[in-house]
Parts: sequence; C-alpha cells; structure tokens
Amino acid sequence: MATLSLQNVQKSYGGLQVLHGIDVELEDGGFLVLLGPSGCGKSTLLNLIAGLDDVSAGDIRIDGRSVIELAPKDRNIAMVFQSYALYPTMSVERNIGFGLEMRGVNNTERNAAVKQAADLLQISHLLDRRPANLSGGQRQRVAMGRAIVRNPDLFLFDEPLSNLDAKLRAEMRTEIKRLHGRLGTSVVYVTHDQIEAMTLGTKVAVMKGGYIQQFADPQTIYEKPANMFVAGFIGSPSMNFVTGTLTSDGRLARFEAPGVQVEAPMSSGEIFGAKAAVLGIRPEELKIADSAGSMLTGIIDVVEPTGPDTMVTIRIAEQPIVARLPPRFFGRVGEAIWLSADVRSVSLFDAETERRIPLGTE
Amino acid sequence: MDTGSHLPKTGMIGELSETRYWIYLLLLPSLVIILLVIAYPTIYGMAISFREMRLTRPGLTGWVGFKHYIVMIDDPVFWVALKNTVLWVTFAVVLELGLGFIAATALNRNVPGTGIFAVLILVPYFLPNVVAGHMWALLLDPRLGVINDVLVRIGILSSYKAWFADPNTALAATIFVEAWHGFPFFALLLLAGLKGIPYDLYRAAAVDGAGPIAQFRLITVPMLKSVIAAAVILRVISLVNSPDLLLILTGGGPGDATQVLSLYAFQTAYKDFNFGYASALSVVMFVILMVFAYAYIRLSKIGQE
Amino acid sequence: MQLNRRELLAGATAMALASQMGTARAAGAINYWHHFASQSEMEGLAKIIALFQAKYSGTKVTQEGIPNSEYMAKVSSAVVAGGKPDTGMVITERFADLVAMNGLVDLSARVKAWPGRSSFPDNRWKGLSQDGKIYAVPAFAFVDWMYYRADYFEQAGLSGPPKNFDEFVQAARKLTDPSKGRYAFSMRGGAGAFKYVIDVMEAFGSPIVKDGKPAIDRAAAIEAVTFYSDLFVKEKVVPPSAPNDSYRQIMEAFRTGQTAMVWHHTGSLSEISGALKQGTQFQTAPMPAGPKAQIARVAYAGNGVIKEDNIEAAWQWVSFWGEPEAAIALLEATGYFPASTAALQDPRLTSNKIYDAAVKTLDFGRLPNTFVGAAGWSENVVNPAFQSVLTGQSKPADAVDRMIKGLDAAMR
Repeated sequence: MATLSLQNVQKSYGGLQVLHGIDVELEDGGFLVLLGPSGCGKSTLLNLIAGLDDVSAGDIRIDGRSVIELAPKDRNIAMVFQSYALYPTMSVERNIGFGLEMRGVNNTERNAAVKQAADLLQISHLLDRRPANLSGGQRQRVAMGRAIVRNPDLFLFDEPLSNLDAKLRAEMRTEIKRLHGRLGTSVVYVTHDQIEAMTLGTKVAVMKGGYIQQFADPQTIYEKPANMFVAGFIGSPSMNFVTGTLTSDGRLARFEAPGVQVEAPMSSGEIFGAKAAVLGIRPEELKIADSAGSMLTGIIDVVEPTGPDTMVTIRIAEQPIVARLPPRFFGRVGEAIWLSADVRSVSLFDAETERRIPLGTE
Repeated sequence: MDTGSHLPKTGMIGELSETRYWIYLLLLPSLVIILLVIAYPTIYGMAISFREMRLTRPGLTGWVGFKHYIVMIDDPVFWVALKNTVLWVTFAVVLELGLGFIAATALNRNVPGTGIFAVLILVPYFLPNVVAGHMWALLLDPRLGVINDVLVRIGILSSYKAWFADPNTALAATIFVEAWHGFPFFALLLLAGLKGIPYDLYRAAAVDGAGPIAQFRLITVPMLKSVIAAAVILRVISLVNSPDLLLILTGGGPGDATQVLSLYAFQTAYKDFNFGYASALSVVMFVILMVFAYAYIRLSKIGQE
Repeated sequence: MQLNRRELLAGATAMALASQMGTARAAGAINYWHHFASQSEMEGLAKIIALFQAKYSGTKVTQEGIPNSEYMAKVSSAVVAGGKPDTGMVITERFADLVAMNGLVDLSARVKAWPGRSSFPDNRWKGLSQDGKIYAVPAFAFVDWMYYRADYFEQAGLSGPPKNFDEFVQAARKLTDPSKGRYAFSMRGGAGAFKYVIDVMEAFGSPIVKDGKPAIDRAAAIEAVTFYSDLFVKEKVVPPSAPNDSYRQIMEAFRTGQTAMVWHHTGSLSEISGALKQGTQFQTAPMPAGPKAQIARVAYAGNGVIKEDNIEAAWQWVSFWGEPEAAIALLEATGYFPASTAALQDPRLTSNKIYDAAVKTLDFGRLPNTFVGAAGWSENVVNPAFQSVLTGQSKPADAVDRMIKGLDAAMR
C-alpha cells in the first residue's frame, strides 16, 4: 500500500510531446482512473509509472520515493494487461507464481501464495491448465492472480476489461471493486469506459491530447465538469449543449438563446454583458414543466421508449437536445414541450475557451 | 456461411462439392503431381541403387543387390564425406541460426529507417548459390581478395592466405560463406516468429522481474520453438542436399578436405557417370535425413502443441 | 472472363495450328551445344554462324553455351533423359565417354565423301574416331606450351626458357622471391590439376593406359608425383594457394605478375596478350622435357552429331567448321589453332614468332589420353589424390596407389 505522486511528468518521442506536465496525487489505498479517448496519453502515462518507458521530465514517487531511476521489477508494482499477457507456454500455476519465481521466493512459500491468490479469485481448479485452454474471463482472473500474488505497493490495470463481453465486463468490474475493498492496495486503472471510471475510481483524471482535463472525484467530474470536453465525455447519453449569450450583473447570470432562458446566481461577482456561452444540461436533469417559468421551449422530434425511461429528442430553435423522461410519456411528435431543471445542476461554459463558468456557490 | 448449403444447387459440380468426396477431388491434382515428380523419381532412384548403371558402359547392366552399399563401407572417401557433411551442416546451421537470431532481433525493434536494413539483410539469400560462390571465391582470393587485403592491413595476417588451399581452413572458410549466404533464411523466419510474440508478454515479464536473459529463455525461445524447429529441419535438408556452393569454392578439395556426400554423389554421377553408386550414396543421404528429421521432431517435441 | 463454346473451339484450333507451324519450322533448324564462354570465343562463334548462314540459308543454327565444367553433366543428362541437341562440341578427352554413352552419331561414310577431308591428315582424326569409325569433324586444336615472363628471366640472369625439368627447377629457384610475393610457377592444383599430373607422370616414363588396360608404372609415377609436388612442398617455387588454384587463378597469377611461368595451351594466348606485351614481357616456349619424354598435348576439338533427326543440316554445320573460312574466322577472333592444314598455311599464323613454339610442338605433341572413364578418374581421383600430397595429408606413394586403384575401378 502506498501513495502515488506524479509531478510535472512529461514524455516526448523525438519532437513529438505526448504528455505535457502531468500532476496527480493519489492517496494511500486510493483508486485512480486514467480516463480518456484512445491516443490521449493514458496508456503512456501508465507505462511511465510501471517503468516500461522512461519519463522525459518530471518525477514519479511511490510512497514518497522517486522511482524514475528504477527498473519495473524494482518498483514493487504489479500490472494487468488488456491482452492479459499470460505466458502461453506455462501452466496457470507457474503464470501466477512467475513474479515470485523471478524474485527467488522458495517453493513452499510460492505455492502457498499462489494457492491463496487462486482461492481468492476462485480459480484453484484451473492451476494445471495452459492459458490456451481458458475462457476470456478465466484468463482475466489469472492475470489478476498474477498481480495480487506479489502483494505489491501499487496495482496497474491497462484497460483490463476491454476484451470481455458486456456481461462479463460488468461482473469483473464488481470483482475488481470487491478486491480493491478487500486488499486496500492503491490502484492506477486505465480505461476509456466512463462507467468503469465512475464506478471504480476514488479519483478520476480525464485526459485528452496529453493534458489532464480534469482531476477530481467522480461525483465532481459528473456534476461540475471543468470544460466542455469533460462534460461531453462523461455521461450517457451525453450532456446537451445549447449555445447562446450570457450576461451578468455580478450577482445574477442570465443565459439566453431562442427558446431558452436560465438565471443562476453568480458567485464570482464578475460583471459582463452579452458574452457568447454554452449551456450544459444533462438529459436526466430535465423535467416537464408548465409553459410559465420553464427553462426551455421546443418541439418534440423523436420519442424513444427504452423501458425504464423515455428518451425524447426536442428541437429548440434548430438546436436538438435529449431529455431522459419517465416511462409514461404522452407527448407526440410535433407537439410543443416545456422543460426545466434544477438550476444547481446546469453548467455554463465560455463559448470561446470552452471552460466552465463558475456559478452559485462554487 | 452455412446458409449457402441450403440453397438449391444445379449442376454436377455443385452436387459433388456437397459430398465428402469433394475434398479428395481437390487433392487429386497435387497428388498426381507429387506422384509424378517426387514419388516416381525417388523410387526409381532407389531402384537404380541396386543396379549397375554406368552411362559409359551401356553393356554393364542388371541387378547387383547390395553391392554398391557394400563397396561404400570400404570407400574411405564416403566416410570422409560423411564426416564433413556432419561438420559442414552442423556448424553452418548453428552459425546461421545465431546470426539469424541477432538480425531478427535487431529488425524487430521497429526503429525508423530499419526497413531498408531488412531488405539489405535479405540480399545474400536472394543471390543464387552459384553467384554467391563466385563472389566469395573472389573476395577470399589469395591474390586479389579484398578480405586478405583487409586482414593484412589491420595486422591479423602477415601475408595473403589461400583459405581454400589449406585443408585446415578450407572447410571453415566454406562454412563461413554458407553462413553468410544462409542466415537471412533464419532471420526471415525468426522475424516472422518474433512478430507473432505479443509485446505485452515482455512488458509483463519486465514487471514480474525477468531480465533480458530470463525473458529470452522463458518467453522468446519457447514461443519460437516451432519456428526454430521447422527452420532448422528445412535448412539441414537443403544443406545436406545442395553441393553447389562447395562445387564452386573448392570442388571438394584440397584432397577431400571439403568433400561432402551430396558433392560426392554429384561427381560420381556426372564425372564418373556411375549412376548406380551415386544413387546408393543418395539413398544413404535420404535415410540419414529421415532419421535426423524423425529424431529431431521427437526431441524438440514440436508435435505436442 | 467467360468463354463460349465457339471461342473455345477457335482458340483450340489456333493453338493446334501454331504447334504444327512450330514443328514445320524446326525441320530447317538445328541447335548446337558448346562450351565457349569468353567474349572472344563468342565472337568467333557468331562469325562462324554468320558465314554458315550465308552459305546455307535454309538451315538455322541456334547455339547454346554450357559452362565447360557442366558440359558432360548436361550432355549425359540429355542422353539419358532425352532432349539431346542436334550437334555439339567434342574434345578429345571426352570423346571416349561420349561414344560409350551413345552420345555421338557415326559419320564415317559422310566424311569419306567430304571434299574437305584432304586438308586433314590422319592424326587429326585419331582423337575423334574409335574402332575405325569417325564420330566428329576436327575444327581447331589446343597446343600445349609454356608462357614465361621474358623480363623476369632477364632480371634473374637466365638466358632462355628451360628445356627440361632440371633446368626448370634451376630457373624456378632463381625466379622465386616470396618476400616480393613472386613465385616461379603457376601450378594448377585445383580443378583441372590432373592434366599436368598425368603429363608429368608420362614425362617420367609411366603410361596411363595401354591397349585399353590400366598401365601405370608405380615406381615412375611415384617419382613423377614426388617431383611435381615438391615444387610446392619442398622447393616452394609455387604460390601457397596452389592446391585450390584452377584455370582462372593460375592465369591471374601470371597476368598480375605473381608468377613467372605457366603451363597452358594456345587457347589462352589472346587473354594473356591482353594483359602483357608479347615479346618483351612474355614469351612462349615448348613444354620442358621430362627425364623419359617431352610431353605436350595437341588436342583436336571438333564437332559431332548427337541426334540423327536432322542429320543433313547437322552434317552441313559440323563439316562447315572444318572449312578454312570458318577456321580462319575462329583464329582471327580467338587465336585458336586451325586443325586443317589448309588453314595452317595462313600467313597470319606463319609470320607470327609467338606461334613458333606451337608449330614446333606439333611435331612431337601427343594426343590426350582418351579412354572410357577418363574424365571421372581424372577429376574424382587424380585431383584429390594429388591435392592431398600438396597439403601434406598423404605421401606420393599413397596418392599413386589411390590413382592406380581408382583407374582399375574406372576401367573395370
């Protein structure tokens, strides 16, 4: 168990800089998720933490100790790969015990550790098999067994669930969460799946283009996205954006667009008149309202009942938005509809910088 | 697609393709070719080894049983050639495997610009044996050879050496040339094998604490085992069977210092025109290769996976 | 692409017609296998073909060059497996083997009726006939002689070329200076070494074959092999590369000035003249005489008919080589000695001093040994046996025993 601290970590390949000054702190026993689309640098960052690649600048500290000069094996980390990376020529037992074998742990101790890990992951009956004879889920468990058997300071997961089907993925996600709760070891977890990020992480770093876009706990990332990229990347269906103008008298901000009118308290005291801005509202926050006092007015375009919810696409003066409404929705296509939301749940972004404009008590 | 089989078919071939005889029918053309160009000459060659067949003596003919094989036991050149064959093939294959491995590992690094090296490294293999032989005969020439010149200039040799004229260096020199000529074969196959090893395995091993040697021993070699085994067998067969490089470099000499079975059989057939004895030599080579291939496959256990 | 039945039929008919036209054309065409390789040789051949074509416009000759060392392998394969050429080049050393494998057609009757026959004395036919039957028409001759560096001889204070083996050794010692990288003699120890081994054996009085039976005189042969190998082993007047030196290497050594003497035949004159100056830098001399005999070969090379299918055209072609115009064309291109006496009178030959030694040699020169199995024995037995003496792996007596045993086996 250990803390992890990334300080101004940079990485370049030749003239191409792929990571720009990454700063992240992870508490002891925390679960850090590196989230982002492919090519954002999250896997590179994981490789740097593992020592499989060298940092170009900056420092990486595990439990306060700089590890950038250490080989992967000396960092006391364990890693689980997307491809599982099981040694095909070795039995499951040897696969799990390989790290201990390389460290010269004696047979008795090793067998006991392997058995314990296998029991924990419920794969004791597979120990004699070769990886080729295992199912995807079983391989995933073996790969995790290989990681936990060594009792490392830090677990590194590189998109471990991407190769599983949806059902198994959900199952293994729960399993990982349970394991983390039981073992309490700090984890760095790379994924492009926002559900995994939200369910597993104690901290989430949303990455894009080699920069951290936002580093916070999952709730904050969901509720107060730092910019339009984070806002759009997190949540499904994703956040609705409506462009309009924002004016502020210092106490009250007023967002206006055709068919849209939102007033929210300004905490910063900033005063400005008619600034291009983007309103962000999550589909699940929208509710049907009366024509009087509604935030949005539009025409129903598409109605898609999914069972628990009804997804309604609404055109507000040519800007489409989606609302997740209760199952028994009786509106018809072409009819007018009025919607509103809790003003504390909306976000406003500067249209130019795409950054969040703080509202209310922020 | 499975649904295709439920569609109504018209015509003979359509119906035939649904039966289990179809596969035999598809195999038929290659079977006929194999019988004609491989099985028949092989069996005919074996038959000749039990006959007297000397082109220059059309009158001398008929079955002679094991005569040629009995003569072989007392033929000192046969034993020298057998010994040289073993030496030549063993050292050449070991060197080629080693060089091929180094080349394949280097090429597998995916460093930008190494694509051209991949092509350059393959050049020796593209050269016909005859061309490679003449080229090296010149490079190692005792009067004009560049290699002698370089070795004298850097002080390793005091004067030009006639590599192929000295029985102590002739075989080694020919092995060297063969290694140069043949290593791309291994490089190519091993590179293909290396490309097939997931890179994550090495990352996992690095995290698990395996150093480069352990990674090589426990990941690379086991993963390449079938490729290595197949490449070695193919190369051994081709080395045992092809006398052309030695024919050009030394002609088996000086003395019988570089005489090998294939060259001896070739010379017996095409210089002595004694096809009976030459066939007997070839049959012995064939048997040796079969035994080798069987033992090698057994020992390397490639059939197990 | 889909063919309908009519197109298919049309195509098949066209193919059948084309193949018939092919055979029809082949009737007036013959092919010719030879082992000419150098630029000058190919030039000579091209001239002869052009002259032939001008005279016999109805016959087309297609030539195919085969490396000398592969020639017999190719011909024997063709004889066994089919695919024989109409005509081919025949040299004396290979004559017996070719006849034995039924590789040549008897031409006696045609030769008898040939007007050009008068230009060829009996000895020209001897190497190309067997049991009274003539199988090939002589075209040119290779006359053995010695090339030596006149300038080196002068520097060493030698008045002239050695006339016998004693003088040869004396001169060789004076001409050798390993510190300068200079050796007296380009010894052929690699492929083709057997030729001079056999010559030296005969020079020491040991025949090879007599009346169709092996006839090596063991004592004389040992003496010969000892003498010849000692040039390398004891006297060290031969470059250290000798055991692997074949035609290309001995010529290179002489042309580049490493050696002062080389034994070869008239065929290499143009090649050496290209590198060294006739008269001042190099000269020619008859082969030195051994204790019992002076051995130099005069080998007539000719052309034979291998396949009888186009015998008329084939005969036209092989006999054309014997006509003076063809012989002179070849001489001009290559310097190869004509076999016909008519061509030997040509002033280009008689006026050139460099040919004196060859003309002299014609008086005493012998035909090469020719017996069935000669090629195999020479290359597969004599070569390695002699090489192993050069490299110290065996003694001359062992080598001679191996040669005797091999000869017995070859002729049995």
